[in-house]
Amino acid sequence: MNYTLKDTILYVDNLSISYDGKVVIKDITFEEKNVTRENLVTGQTIAFVGRSGRGKSTLFKALTGLVKPNSGRVLISDLNSSEKNSALQVKEGDVGFVDQKYTLFRNKTIYQSFLFALRKKNITAVQKEEMINEYLKNWGLEKFKDQYPCELSGGQRQRTAIIEQIFSSGHYMILDEPFSGLDVGNIENVKEAFQLITNQHDLNTIIFSTHDIELAVELADSIYVIGYPTINGKKADYGTIVMHVDMKKLGLSWNKFDKAHLTVVKEIKEAMLLS
Amino acid sequence: MNTIKNFFKPFEKINAQQSFVIYLIWFLIVFGFWFISAGMSETHLFPSPQQVLTGLVDLYNEGLIVHIQSSLWLCLRAILISVSLSLIICYLSPVPFLQFFSKVMSKLRYLPLTGITFYLVILIDSGRTMQIWVLVIFMSTYLTTSLLAMIKEIPQEEFDHARTLKCNRWEVLWEVVIKGRIDYVIEIIRQNLAIVWMMLVTVESILVATGGLGFLIKNSDKFMNHGRIVALQIVILTVGLSIDFILDRSRRILFRYSKL
Repeated sequence: MNYTLKDTILYVDNLSISYDGKVVIKDITFEEKNVTRENLVTGQTIAFVGRSGRGKSTLFKALTGLVKPNSGRVLISDLNSSEKNSALQVKEGDVGFVDQKYTLFRNKTIYQSFLFALRKKNITAVQKEEMINEYLKNWGLEKFKDQYPCELSGGQRQRTAIIEQIFSSGHYMILDEPFSGLDVGNIENVKEAFQLITNQHDLNTIIFSTHDIELAVELADSIYVIGYPTINGKKADYGTIVMHVDMKKLGLSWNKFDKAHLTVVKEIKEAMLLS
Repeated sequence: MNTIKNFFKPFEKINAQQSFVIYLIWFLIVFGFWFISAGMSETHLFPSPQQVLTGLVDLYNEGLIVHIQSSLWLCLRAILISVSLSLIICYLSPVPFLQFFSKVMSKLRYLPLTGITFYLVILIDSGRTMQIWVLVIFMSTYLTTSLLAMIKEIPQEEFDHARTLKCNRWEVLWEVVIKGRIDYVIEIIRQNLAIVWMMLVTVESILVATGGLGFLIKNSDKFMNHGRIVALQIVILTVGLSIDFILDRSRRILFRYSKL
């Protein structure tokens, strides 16, 4: 499928993070560009896979600005600048983040949470209400708008957490293991949610982690494997990128899952086992 | 028969009606034992129900309601001051430079009552004010300890969630700790109230001041009036449990999301 790569939307440069002297991730560098397709709105879907404890969650916290790296930097597009390819260092709130527990404000109803997420947007109260109602309807949450998080199912909480982040942050959204513990129906709902986001704006970018490699290969157009690198024959004990699969280059993005995808799944699994 | 068997099976789930039956049985056993033992005992260490009832009527005629009001008013003033003090100290504890105060306040709970009253006597000349401050000092130390534990137990994800929604650090404090945990504060006050209620009676009986349930106990104690003492204990327990019930119900009604 034809596509064009435009400006850089995410640039991670030599990122390293340590906690209490223990290096968790080191030397992480990658770049993602805005993908466009003719007559189609195409956001980016980037997957991070890797075995447990390899530093995916730490990397995500750095990408969202929640953790300051010991070295390196995370740059995202500066949408307020008129200069071409201008970037700014990520800070808290620039990138949406939905954690594994779909954390919400326990004392706010869905409607109150959405209103809070929109509080810094320069739109009128009527526009905010219209926007909230539209999302409530499209995401099947209309009936539950006055419910508190403790009164919602896991799927409803997850959808609320995603919309809240869409309202608050810009075009970037990170989801830490969004498919973990979901049944088949809810997995389909999350896949639909991904489509809703990426079909909305060219710059919308979803970054997610998963242990389900088939799902990563099916959904993502760029996949990174985080693992322990082997240096001089010895396995290091920090996480870094050990493999990158560009599904667009392979011609597998936006296509139905088939044998070629399965080959990629196999390669990724092998890389994971070795790291 | 099976239902009765279930009453003695560990971890067996019982419904509200069965629970009521169990409570009723125990109530009858306790009261039955009291009636029988009071009549049989020769030492008269424990008063008969008749003596307790007489004591209660006497207390009522001597202005029991006024004394209850006096104790409640003292308790309320002490609670208001100590809750305000502890909340300010604890809400500012996430600020590294101010954390010192909450830590020190929490550690002060190991101080003995006598040492504190000694200095309060020097500083304060009114008996009632002194009672209030003794209670404030004690309640604040325990409240601060509980509130600090509450803040410590807030999952990191909740702070991160607020930060991803563009909350600055003060907004995080406001949204997650202050607004997000109001129901916890009520629960902590409810739990610590038992200490204050217990202390209140002691403080009232130690420090000579006008009225209060502690003062009544001290007086009854002096004349070895067992019936009055037990009647007073029942009144104190009932008032304490009523406050506990009101606070618990209020929390549930005011904060629908509160599932503590």
